[in-house]
Amino acid sequence: MILLLWVVSFFGSSPMVQDTVVLAEVEVYAPKIERFAQGQKIQVWDKKELENYEGRALADLLKERSPVFVRQYGAGMLASPSFRGTSAGNTALFWNGLPINSPSLGQSDLSILPIQAIDQVSLQFGNAGALFGNEAIGGSLHLQNQLQFSKGFHASLSQQFGSFGAFKTGIQGSFSNEIFSSSTKVYREFAKNNFPYQDLGQIGTPEVKEDHAQFKQIGFVQDFGWNINSNSQLKAAFWLNKSNREIQPVMGSNTNDLQEDQSFRAVLDYYRFGSGSVWNLKTGLVKDQLDFNGSLSRTDQYFLATDYDQTFSEKLAIKGGIRFTQMQADLSSYSTSDQRIEIYQSTKYKPSKDITLSLNLRELVYQDQFAPFAPSIGLDWGLWNNESSSLLLQSSFGRGFKVPTLNDRFWEPGGNPNLLPEESWSGEIGFLWKVNGDSQWSNQLTYYRMSVDNWIIWLPQGSVWIPENIKHVSNQGIEYQGETSGKLGSLDWGIDWSYTWSRAVTTSGIGETDPAIGKQLPYTPQHQANAKIRVSRDGISTYLSTFFVGERSVTADNPRMMPSYQLFNFGLAYDQLKWRKLAFPVRFQINNLFNTDYQVLYLRAMPGRSFQFNLSIRI
Amino acid sequence: MKLKFNQLVGALALSIFFFSCENSEPEQPLGAYEQGILIMNEGNFGTNDGEVYHLDPSTLTLKPNVFETENLRPFAGLLEDMVTVNGTLYLVANTGKVEIVDAGTFKSLGAVSGGLDQPRSLEVVGSKLFISDYGPYDASYNTPDSYVAVVDGLNGGMVTKKIEVSNKPEDLIAFGKYIFVAGSEEGKVEIIDADKEEVIKVLEVDGRPAQFFEIDGKVWLYSTGNDEVYFQSFHMDLTKATTNSLPVANATGRIAFGNDNLYYLITSTGWPEYQDGVSRVSVLGSELDLDWITGSGFYGIGYDKARNELYLANSNGFQGNGTVTVYDADGTEKRDFEVGRGPSGFLFY
Repeated sequence: MILLLWVVSFFGSSPMVQDTVVLAEVEVYAPKIERFAQGQKIQVWDKKELENYEGRALADLLKERSPVFVRQYGAGMLASPSFRGTSAGNTALFWNGLPINSPSLGQSDLSILPIQAIDQVSLQFGNAGALFGNEAIGGSLHLQNQLQFSKGFHASLSQQFGSFGAFKTGIQGSFSNEIFSSSTKVYREFAKNNFPYQDLGQIGTPEVKEDHAQFKQIGFVQDFGWNINSNSQLKAAFWLNKSNREIQPVMGSNTNDLQEDQSFRAVLDYYRFGSGSVWNLKTGLVKDQLDFNGSLSRTDQYFLATDYDQTFSEKLAIKGGIRFTQMQADLSSYSTSDQRIEIYQSTKYKPSKDITLSLNLRELVYQDQFAPFAPSIGLDWGLWNNESSSLLLQSSFGRGFKVPTLNDRFWEPGGNPNLLPEESWSGEIGFLWKVNGDSQWSNQLTYYRMSVDNWIIWLPQGSVWIPENIKHVSNQGIEYQGETSGKLGSLDWGIDWSYTWSRAVTTSGIGETDPAIGKQLPYTPQHQANAKIRVSRDGISTYLSTFFVGERSVTADNPRMMPSYQLFNFGLAYDQLKWRKLAFPVRFQINNLFNTDYQVLYLRAMPGRSFQFNLSIRI
Repeated sequence: MKLKFNQLVGALALSIFFFSCENSEPEQPLGAYEQGILIMNEGNFGTNDGEVYHLDPSTLTLKPNVFETENLRPFAGLLEDMVTVNGTLYLVANTGKVEIVDAGTFKSLGAVSGGLDQPRSLEVVGSKLFISDYGPYDASYNTPDSYVAVVDGLNGGMVTKKIEVSNKPEDLIAFGKYIFVAGSEEGKVEIIDADKEEVIKVLEVDGRPAQFFEIDGKVWLYSTGNDEVYFQSFHMDLTKATTNSLPVANATGRIAFGNDNLYYLITSTGWPEYQDGVSRVSVLGSELDLDWITGSGFYGIGYDKARNELYLANSNGFQGNGTVTVYDADGTEKRDFEVGRGPSGFLFY
């Protein structure tokens, strides 16, 4: 326990700057992603908020509650992120500090990352090549498992029933004392997804039931934490996830594709705490296997990393580290391996009470090539901070990069080993204004600009498609987020809302006459918004939430626009049903409350109104 | 897409029908879309945004997305072929359906939606539709179960029979009650008896059969090899007649038929050199201009015989809409304009 208090005292800084390591004494240590992310915005969903997404996927959380636009190919189908107008491969994804985007595809399918398996999700906005490395161009996502000590034994069983044949089960068990902590999660999700939709691909556009979108997923998550002695800690996490999907055909097609995805991820962390220092030795592996209609793709990644974080004084903290990655890929068309080494450092300097500066640097080398050297600087400046309100100015500037994916480089035929990494420069400035009192207010406004060069696209050369560094894209946008909360008698209430304007324009394309030049990127809405109102009293809680996605084009030259849509969700929960030591929380949700007919992507049917009912037993 | 001399047969059948009804209708004026040029835009794989554009060559008025405009629903498919027979236009989508519209108004008349896998082309004999189909892919992306589907009814309906043929059948042509099938992968021409609905003859031919056409009442086949192209003719008794080979390398199978028996062939060296071209050749004459036009991204080709103009379509890498460039008889560029996604062919009325 002592060591953790210590960590707090050394790592804590001005509460203003929001990077205090608010470490409950009993929590297993995990480095805070915001520690050197001055000038950048991070949105966090903790376990409590994630409960509303039990039985659903990371895709659902992001599309409903964040400015990330999720390109979703149907119910439970491939879902890839587009953040700040960048492509699916420009959002880095980490699980307990390990990068888990597929090295062959360079992206992740957010539909097969179940919320059940995760305890905390953090979304970091914007370029973070220096801080987080490869692929953090639009932003990065951080999935964390959280473990605690001295909590004894807890278990829960949760069962969910829902529309369209949804039947989802989750079992969790955890035990911890002062030395040792273990948590186990097992889940099984099944959805028939036989939702009705209007089939625009058939004569007379009849209403039909989707008959090829069945979704099955099972998983197992195991976490261990061990206080080896008063100044060192060992942490391990394992995650096995397997999903089987019937691939929902695009309207007008009658394909019967089947896909099985299997991932095994493991990470082992050793922390040694010194005088204001933390030394971390990290090793891990990520094995992905994708079987599409019997055609198998396998990739393995092995990681070995170490870093050292030293707080020298209240003013100065420096972290430096190195990571090795070994990759092996065996796909139907090629087999290859890749080695990567990256070194990085982060410095945080606090010249005065109100100002915190950070400098991050990273260099990644893959095979015999150097990725662009990535520096970034950040600033948090508390313009004022008094009892009633505070105003924080945040600004950052930096470079990001994306190493071409293994498919880009080695796919047979067409893979292009001479591709250059995509690279970006970006800067942002924002204000966070908070008002304290009986009801709290906060408003955050950010403006960013970004320029992405060597953007890779695949173009046909005869019947063979070849990736090339063709495009240059300029992005800018405004993000506004607000929230207010308070108490009304015994009633707790909260409202939050956000609006995002994102302009991502092709500035150079295929030749000088490319009609895409000057136009918004495909499937990149200019306008997005979401809001949620929640009320709770005496164990009963309810919410109504909504999200809006504006018009977006199907192709880069924008001749066909997809209409905007707005969906509403509703939830009702009661968590005070108890018997002896057992609790029986119940939850009821309606998604797409008004049965809105919409498509995210052209001719990809999406489900209308659905109900879900959740019953749990907890001890 | 092809020269339809079975239109005559069909017209004859229809006139007999009309006479037998003793209720001959007045001749209908040609509809808006039955004159001018139809541009077939294949669409992008996975997006199903195939569509038809219409061009009036005298006013250069271009109407986009004709199917969606006239039927208030998207075409929702990859448009592989367009076949017009007796005022009916068959739109063959290789995503598993055939949409049938009135050629004049483009209003939907029917569809073949069940039972097809990857249809490629269509022919009409009597009241039956014959549809060449790759069949489903197996795990290694081969198509061992290719067939020609039979549908009884000019306005579509159910597939009543699947006639097994060699892998990857492409074009079809009707010759009396016989249908010639271009078996592209195995270099075969299969001949189907439309009454019996079975293959009655298999002919081995050179190259990869791509497209049938007709000269002076005789069926011809255009097929491609690696270094040569072949023009094969057939006798009335369904045997092979002559084969002409020409030294045109890397032909894609896309062909346009011009005046004076000149043919225009798209060639593509493919990856990695990647150079596209149009060769101008003649089977009966001596023309052989291998690099009549050179460039990249060539996808579809057509020839307006009335105006002596060559239409060459560029897919622009499928990133968005394609472009059509019009050349005069000397190969000089006259104009270009934007069309739909993946423009792959033309129908000149």
